[in-house]
Amino acid sequence: MGILAAATLLVALFAYIFWPEQNPFTQRAATRLDFLQERRDAVMANLRDLNFEFRAGKYPAEEYESQRDRLEAEAATILTEIDVLEAAPTPAHLV
Amino acid sequence: MHPMPQFGSFALILALALSAYTLVAGSIGLFQLAYNRPGRVSPDRLVETARRAGIGTFIAVLCAAFALVWASFTNDFSVAYILHHTNRALNPAYKFSALWSGQEGSLLLWAFLLTAYGFVLRLRYRTDVRLFAYASTILAAVQLFFLALLNFAAPPFALWTGDPQPDGFGLNPLLQYPEMVIHPPMLYLGYVGFSVPFAFALGALMMRYPGEKWIRITRRWTLVTWLFLTVGISLGMHWAYAVLGWGGYWGWDPVENASFLPWLTATAFLHSVIMQEKRGMMKQWNVWLIFTTFMLTILGTLLTRSGIVSSVHAFAESSIGGWFTTFLCITFAVCLFTFFKQRKHLATEHKLEAIVSRESSFLFNNLVLLVLCFTVLFGTLFPVLSEYVQGSKVTMGAPFFNRVAVPIGLFLLFLTGVGPLLAWRATSLRSIRRNFVLPCIATVGSAIMLMAVGIRPWKVDALDQQGSIYSLVCFSIGAGVTVAIFTEFLRGVGVVRTQTGRNFISAALLLTRRNNRRYGGYLVHFGIVALFIGLAGAAFNQSHELEMGFGDSITIGNYKVICQSYTQDSNPNYDTDFALLDVYDGPKKITQMAPEKRFYTASQTTSTIVAIHSTPLRDLYVVFEGRNLETSKPIIKVFLNPLVSWIWIGVAIIIAGTFLGLAPQFKAALSTATAATPALDLQSVAGD
Repeated sequence: MGILAAATLLVALFAYIFWPEQNPFTQRAATRLDFLQERRDAVMANLRDLNFEFRAGKYPAEEYESQRDRLEAEAATILTEIDVLEAAPTPAHLV
Repeated sequence: MHPMPQFGSFALILALALSAYTLVAGSIGLFQLAYNRPGRVSPDRLVETARRAGIGTFIAVLCAAFALVWASFTNDFSVAYILHHTNRALNPAYKFSALWSGQEGSLLLWAFLLTAYGFVLRLRYRTDVRLFAYASTILAAVQLFFLALLNFAAPPFALWTGDPQPDGFGLNPLLQYPEMVIHPPMLYLGYVGFSVPFAFALGALMMRYPGEKWIRITRRWTLVTWLFLTVGISLGMHWAYAVLGWGGYWGWDPVENASFLPWLTATAFLHSVIMQEKRGMMKQWNVWLIFTTFMLTILGTLLTRSGIVSSVHAFAESSIGGWFTTFLCITFAVCLFTFFKQRKHLATEHKLEAIVSRESSFLFNNLVLLVLCFTVLFGTLFPVLSEYVQGSKVTMGAPFFNRVAVPIGLFLLFLTGVGPLLAWRATSLRSIRRNFVLPCIATVGSAIMLMAVGIRPWKVDALDQQGSIYSLVCFSIGAGVTVAIFTEFLRGVGVVRTQTGRNFISAALLLTRRNNRRYGGYLVHFGIVALFIGLAGAAFNQSHELEMGFGDSITIGNYKVICQSYTQDSNPNYDTDFALLDVYDGPKKITQMAPEKRFYTASQTTSTIVAIHSTPLRDLYVVFEGRNLETSKPIIKVFLNPLVSWIWIGVAIIIAGTFLGLAPQFKAALSTATAATPALDLQSVAGD
């Protein structure tokens, strides 16, 4: 009984693992562009939070302005690099 | 022949082989992909078979766990483990929990949970195929270690070689308590779960993963695991409170400390990861926090199972200490090597701009948590260190830990209130004045009020003075933190109401749904406040002990406890001695309590069943200590423990807050709301 159960388990798992799968699911690898897009989203979220907290009365106006300027500058730098990378021809292995 | 033990043993060998395959095939496939060197089998195919073998490992370990539970329920005393940890009269729930009541079984539970986490990870691989393949391969290495341990050092299906026994030796009476059916699995889910963030962090570092997606995945896994560990630790505290009969819930026992250490570093990570996500800072720090958390779980297991330190919870001294020490050293070496090889990948994107800022509050929070972690680790390992240096074991008792941990804990509570009020990057003096006025008023006001109602540390005995001061500080800071949390939330609700015209409840719901992570975090902080209030109540504990005959009474606080009767009873599993005590609050009888002392027949050991009458203000905690052999009257010890319920309420709030933080963000709901109310500016980005 024990041997039968063990043999069944062995055959079932062997078949599951090595059953010929011709087209395993693949994805392209993450790139610098993906990273920049994530950073862009993070900076936008930071801007939203800043805006919201200012409206909630957490920041004085001048502090808000200065923080917003810095975040906008950061966003602009990221967007510029994204534009450059998107304009560049895509390497064949990433298509 | 014994079919189930045979099947279980085979399943464990198969699981070991499959784990080895997952590790080897996964490593080869990932190496080929990383260096673009395809072999005879395509690397993608190889990695896919490794993933499936990982899933197969879970199935095999599940079969082994089933075989052991089956052996327990069928009283198969040919298996040594079943003989030593069960008996025929044992309640079925405890027959099930026998799976984790001994060394071999609990290692099997560990392997089962580890492969179950791996199963979930491998099913979700489409989130990021390459990253998940790295994590799966690293996790397979951890699985391999535990399965090797189960196959060679602590086999759960080893057969009993002595004379056949008609009945088992029984389960440890301390484990025959309902919470023991869920406490160990919860604690293990927490402990074992930290392997997954570790696998992701190490994998992301090995593959030089570009971007922060891995940290978001890791944060969610860490939060789930942290939740399990929090629940596990809390259940352990409640078990200690209800079963051990000493009136407390935390004794700084090495095994308790072992579970607390990774909790501290994981808590630090859950805070500092926000800085990495928002500002791209503290990347190296975060990676090491995850590594450390994982290594602390292994160290904790080493302490629990090797007999290095003595504890009421620890398993008997065994030979597996060497296995864990070796594994710990290998893990540390791999982490160190990978970190130094890839550290340039972890360069920070921003620097700390000001000392008074949200970033610095996170940094402080992390440092304080790590100082606490180091202190607890030092105190726990002190017996080992002292034996090494001076040849005799010197144990650090609760006073040492309390002296250090209480002020650190209070400072953490203070930071809980301060952090969310500070601005990112830099906070001006005007901003501080604007945000801190109400919490400061609440802190000072509550201190004055508490002194007015009688908490006056200068008037109590010198012995209790420190506890009284700490509790006063705790209550006052708790009030300030609570006000800080609620004013933050109410400000947010105010903005939503102004912009949408919604009523208060609707605006509060929209705000919470929009940023459930932030407000889930605030709820957790509020739960921490409630928990600290409960802990601070310990400064005012009282106790009395008396030999009680019929009609004798003890008065403690407002309560009067009168002995109505004392008698004995028995069932097939145990004999019990208990007293029936009427409890009066003033002239009114409020309840009857029945503390017990049990004698378990199979294991020939005794156990205490405490009677507890709990209210939000205080617990009446009654212990049947035994009988006076001359008079045969019961000796009853009564404790009055103020505010203990707030510990459990605090834990429940922490759980609710964590669930809220884990819930998916309701962007769709907000989009609908935004469409319906064009004036809503929550979604808009300044400068858009």
